Amino acid sequence: MSQFDAIVIGGGVNGLVAGTLLSRHGKNVCIIEKSNRFGGMASYSVDGGPTLAHSLYNLSPRALSDIGIDPQHPVLSGKPVSTVSLSEDGRHIVFNSEGVFWSEGAKHPESDAWSDLTKQLITYGGLLRQLAEASPPGGQKAILSRGGLNEFLRLAKLGRGLKKLGKSEMRRFLQVVLSNVYDIVLDDLSEGPVAGMLAADAIWGSATGPRSPGTVFNLIYRLGHGGNITQPAGGMSALTDLMVEAAQKAGCVLMPETKVSRIMLHDDTVSGVATNDGRTLTAPIVLSNLAPRLTSRMTGPSAFDIETMRRVRSIRALGTAAKVNLRLKDDAALPGLPSELAHERLIYAPSVEYVEAAFNPAKYRQMSKAPVIEAFKMQTADGANWLSTIVQYASSDIEGGWTQTAKEQLAQITVETLSHALPGLSDQISGKQVITPDQIEGATGAPGGHWHHAEMSLDQLLTLRPANGMARYSMGPKGLFQCGAATHPGGDVMGLAGRNAALAALEARP
Amino acid sequence: MTVENRYDVIVAGAGHNGLTAAAYLARAGMRVLVVEKNDWIGGAAVSRSLHDGWTYSNCSYVCSLLRREIARDLELPKYGLQVIPYEGGASFTRDGDYFAYYSDHNALKREIARHSAKDADAYRGYSQAIMRQCRFIRPFLLRDAPDPASLHPRDLGELAYLVKKAHGLGSRELGETLKFWTMSIGDFLDEHFENDLIKAHLAGSGIIGTGLGVYSPGTSYVLLHHYMGDIDGGIGAWGFARGGMGAISNAIAASFKDHGGTIHTGSGIEKILSKDGRVEGVTLEDGKVIYAPVVASNMDIKRTILHHLDAAELPDDFTKAVRNFKIRGSSAKLNIALDRFPSFPAAPEHTSFLRGDLHVSQSLLELEKAYDDWKVGRWSEKPYIDMLIPSQIDPTMAPTGAHMMTVFVQYAPYDLEVDGVRSAENWDEKQRSAMAETVLDQMSVACPDIRERIVHMEVRSPLEIEREVGLTEGNIFQGELTFDQLFFNRPVPGWSQYSLPVKGLYLCGSSAHPGGGVMGAPGANAARAILRHETRHGRMKGYAA
Amino acid sequence: MSIFTDPKLGLIPGPFHKKLEEQNRAQNWYDWAGYAAPGVLDSVEFEYFALRNQASLFDISPMHKYRLTGPDTTTMLNRLVTRDIRKIGVGRVGYAIWCDEEGMVIDDGTLFHLADNDWRLCCQEQMLTWLLDAAWGFDVSVVDETHSFAGLSLQGPTSYAVLEAVGLDVSKLKPFDLAKVDHDLMISRTGFTGDLGYELWCDWDKAEELWDSVWKGGAHQGLRAIGYEAVNLARIEAGFLTAGVDFQPVHATERLHRGQTPFELGLGRLVDFNKGHFNGRRELLSKRESPRSLLMRFDVEGFKPSEGSLIYNRRKKEVGHITSGIWSPTAKRNIALAHVRMPDAGRSSGLKAEIYTLQEGKWDTRMARLTPVTKAFFAPPRARATPPART
Repeated sequence: MSQFDAIVIGGGVNGLVAGTLLSRHGKNVCIIEKSNRFGGMASYSVDGGPTLAHSLYNLSPRALSDIGIDPQHPVLSGKPVSTVSLSEDGRHIVFNSEGVFWSEGAKHPESDAWSDLTKQLITYGGLLRQLAEASPPGGQKAILSRGGLNEFLRLAKLGRGLKKLGKSEMRRFLQVVLSNVYDIVLDDLSEGPVAGMLAADAIWGSATGPRSPGTVFNLIYRLGHGGNITQPAGGMSALTDLMVEAAQKAGCVLMPETKVSRIMLHDDTVSGVATNDGRTLTAPIVLSNLAPRLTSRMTGPSAFDIETMRRVRSIRALGTAAKVNLRLKDDAALPGLPSELAHERLIYAPSVEYVEAAFNPAKYRQMSKAPVIEAFKMQTADGANWLSTIVQYASSDIEGGWTQTAKEQLAQITVETLSHALPGLSDQISGKQVITPDQIEGATGAPGGHWHHAEMSLDQLLTLRPANGMARYSMGPKGLFQCGAATHPGGDVMGLAGRNAALAALEARP
Repeated sequence: MTVENRYDVIVAGAGHNGLTAAAYLARAGMRVLVVEKNDWIGGAAVSRSLHDGWTYSNCSYVCSLLRREIARDLELPKYGLQVIPYEGGASFTRDGDYFAYYSDHNALKREIARHSAKDADAYRGYSQAIMRQCRFIRPFLLRDAPDPASLHPRDLGELAYLVKKAHGLGSRELGETLKFWTMSIGDFLDEHFENDLIKAHLAGSGIIGTGLGVYSPGTSYVLLHHYMGDIDGGIGAWGFARGGMGAISNAIAASFKDHGGTIHTGSGIEKILSKDGRVEGVTLEDGKVIYAPVVASNMDIKRTILHHLDAAELPDDFTKAVRNFKIRGSSAKLNIALDRFPSFPAAPEHTSFLRGDLHVSQSLLELEKAYDDWKVGRWSEKPYIDMLIPSQIDPTMAPTGAHMMTVFVQYAPYDLEVDGVRSAENWDEKQRSAMAETVLDQMSVACPDIRERIVHMEVRSPLEIEREVGLTEGNIFQGELTFDQLFFNRPVPGWSQYSLPVKGLYLCGSSAHPGGGVMGAPGANAARAILRHETRHGRMKGYAA
Repeated sequence: MSIFTDPKLGLIPGPFHKKLEEQNRAQNWYDWAGYAAPGVLDSVEFEYFALRNQASLFDISPMHKYRLTGPDTTTMLNRLVTRDIRKIGVGRVGYAIWCDEEGMVIDDGTLFHLADNDWRLCCQEQMLTWLLDAAWGFDVSVVDETHSFAGLSLQGPTSYAVLEAVGLDVSKLKPFDLAKVDHDLMISRTGFTGDLGYELWCDWDKAEELWDSVWKGGAHQGLRAIGYEAVNLARIEAGFLTAGVDFQPVHATERLHRGQTPFELGLGRLVDFNKGHFNGRRELLSKRESPRSLLMRFDVEGFKPSEGSLIYNRRKKEVGHITSGIWSPTAKRNIALAHVRMPDAGRSSGLKAEIYTLQEGKWDTRMARLTPVTKAFFAPPRARATPPART
């Protein structure tokens, strides 16, 4: 069969959510994926190593239930992990919903300040989530249309949410949301690992440092679903399996290992796609999970206005996070880390200044010599033990490119940095995998290997995401929609971009 | 003039904003006293003669932002103010070339084309975007920033004005506006231009006076803050006040005195007196007590609240917000008396651009690195410098044939790092002259003989600026110009309309909306608020009303 | 430091400057894209009548010229402009307009189809950034020829005879045809006057040579060098629009909402909705039926030129303004181009222009009735005859 109601290009998380949702609304949907597995960054791995994404903290229950997955599904209902900030002196700091503690159990003196600040940011995150669960405001022409009215009601609801905060909190919100994490954190906490932890959580995946205005938004975004971090039972692939299953159950046709060569247009309207192997699939709706630039390559620039193309190519997407997977000899405890913390989320971010300093080299196309790191110790399906780490900043555009030497250097830096707090770690390592942003780009198509497809900076958010004039998922010709992380609200293993896009497509073509 | 012990209003600080507020209030019939800690007036808009025969504008040094409405309402030309536009400017390269920024648009286009034909064509789109933003923002400068959390009719009215203005843009332009306001000047320039030197030349205005780098979001707004002024309606034009920047303060002061105002110099405010949540007056450093139901502070918010007011009078969250207000020292200043005009070997004969602002930064990345140095408590190894020789245009600044040079330096930290310790106390003579050497090295790129030309030089670190002028950390804007401290967030959320939690106490300096620069707008806006709240007739007269 | 004038300031000479300087008795230069261009060389009347009665030479080198080549050029240009340029054959010239994403006119100009996927665009406004933007994603090279390619406009009833005298045979050239005479010279039967005329194009450094040969050929044909003021009279008679006067090129406006759609400028015939997507198409589809104003041609009551006048309707409400208005020496009418807002633009009568006059120190105002005119004010058959007449 080659005739569909809708075609989704790209079987990452957002593509799966979008396709499944459309299917559940009675559409005959096909999801096309160029690689042999679905799930995008959530399932990409090299030689059976850990996947790119290695934890969940922002998965949208709304997106899940919209595609028929119970948010409480056993795969997803694991206990939240704590965050452990690794310290050189062996007194690691543990962050969890109870507060902040020294690794030996005593309460950290800044526990209350940290909890208060985090709680406040989570409240703001809840407000922003209302915005995230629908198309961004603006752009609707007539307020009296059905869409206009809905939007008005939604904004009114947000307004009510703000009002409920009370006057002074509402004012504070409007200030904090525009601020930089350096200032907000150091206003309430002293410089050190407790502040450093929040600074690090504000910059993952981004080409920005804690001093940059707008970074508090990133932190709030991350805390938008409560801030709990979990690992799916059975690993990330268990989650993507769940999603694939949901798609199939909803009746989606899944086409792995199929490359789309062209999006076909007729009279400024989408008519389907052509594949590399010469097939033509027709549909009046095409949703692209790819970044706008790649999508426009499939239609050709003629399908869009010149200004649109200018904006598309100005979208900033510099991937700065590399994945370094360290294969461990055995399941033994990590040196210097109490065994009960072995499976928590480990980070290396001793201070806010440290995080800022780590960012500096990225501005000049160098890798950080003292990077910020997030690590999970895990076992893959084949029983191998790994320390799965995200290392920042290692940007896609480093001078000289990501040669083998550069990759080895990054692995070396990662091990050395972690060894400050985990002395003797290198003795436990039997192998290394380095997945650099350019490699992530090659594998997943994410521009610059950026895990949000487009930098989450204030000038690329909400109405401006991915670019001015294209925030409401439709793009150029009739029937063409974007559903990827570059669109509102953004990336992470979240699914809202795909969900919102599918709803927008349904609304445009009832 | 004798100082009495009771006035209608006391203005703390004779900076240009304090004087502006005072002059408006005096014209409205109030009895106003301005008190100033220094023996001279002007705050950071001051002309000082520190070496016989030469006059320095030793803080602010060029003029553009001063609102026309204020100059007209206060009749400043009548009191001696003359502002002369300077034309052009340049950035010099290390290999003996330059990029000249001519005000003649044909010459400018040809000069850009000399460096990049593409950029010459792209310049129009760039300046169109900037001008549109200027046109959008200018009407807000002399208005109050609405409190978004308030249902007061005035706030709703101001909010409605904002919405109407924003709506008038149309959805595309509104998007462009939001984007402009939130992006970095580096990204904005990268979107328009390809040539490093041109980008570096244009980027300077995006970082002057701020603790941000050219790639920090929000610096496009800072650039706008420098472009939104005008001279005689020529938007974005800059000029010299004849006689130095002090001429502006002096003219406002003369206008004020002519309408019955009194200025008391040589003794600053020791304490702002209040009782039961209401201002009563002030005590001065010399012990004098003066009473007034209204006190307007031209000092920055931190100084006003944390140093001169009894904390017990204030709500805790307000004091906390003030403590967290960011005023970061990031700039230094060199004022130099020259025996004659320095040589600029790269500049062609008879060129006009030397009359303007001269720079030596080569690229955006060089500017960004300059910021990185500052972040860790050092002055920049290659600072951004903005140097001008006003004596070419203003004959009153130096003896005939000799010249005066003003050099603004970005970045220099307030808390200087020496041997691992960051402290303002580290700014001793040795560190100051070491910084001056760094700056002179930078200047030598443009004028290699600069060291031989020096007759006298004043080096001002952020610490000197703080000590002399009273600006916390020597921050020239009385507070960072970041989103979280602008418009309804300035100086702190909920207090953006000049009044403060103590009744009768007002803020009339640059810590208040719309912020720093020799603009006069905070002063005029504060006067309007005072007249509204504290007098029966309630209305200010004039174009700034 | 010096008080001498900076040599880098001001206007610069174009390729024909030496020749124009020899002719320029009026010393009336104006700024045309940074070049010193003659407003008048001796007197407007002489120059205008040379144009309409014999032959005239006008330097058009300051126009912006861009060469576009490469396999995707036709596709790229067809996305840029509103008309279907696939209908402009090789060896033909087409008038075209192009719009921004909101359907507002950026500029108008002529497209010279030199060979397959080889075009030259000639227009009033600078366009390099826009063309590079438009070419992004296509295999097209854009070369700015503005400062390397000279143009000379030879217009008037004897212009064919002038070329004949130079030894150039253009008898077969129909209006909007172009011919490459040799490596150094291209001739197109185009112009901005509505009369018989040609435009001659050559490299910058060949310009003086070209001028000299044409000048010699024109010795017995009444050929005269002219300035812009004479050309302006002629173009208003022909009903041609000038960028920045009769419409605001949208990229050159600082103020918002000053742009106009092709429909508002009466150029709807140049918009082809059936050729596939082009810039601004989606907006134009929705704006086609709802123009906010119309560009109109008027016959103005009385004899006073009406430029800059405000237009009032029957109820004395201001509804527009005159953009160009002259007394036409050839049509012997008081003519004008004007913007009139809807719905008054749709009404055929009742509009009046308020014309200010200054006569020997006395300002006055008079209300002049406006009569809409649909055709050009002056369109002589000689402009279209092929082969053209010699006189």
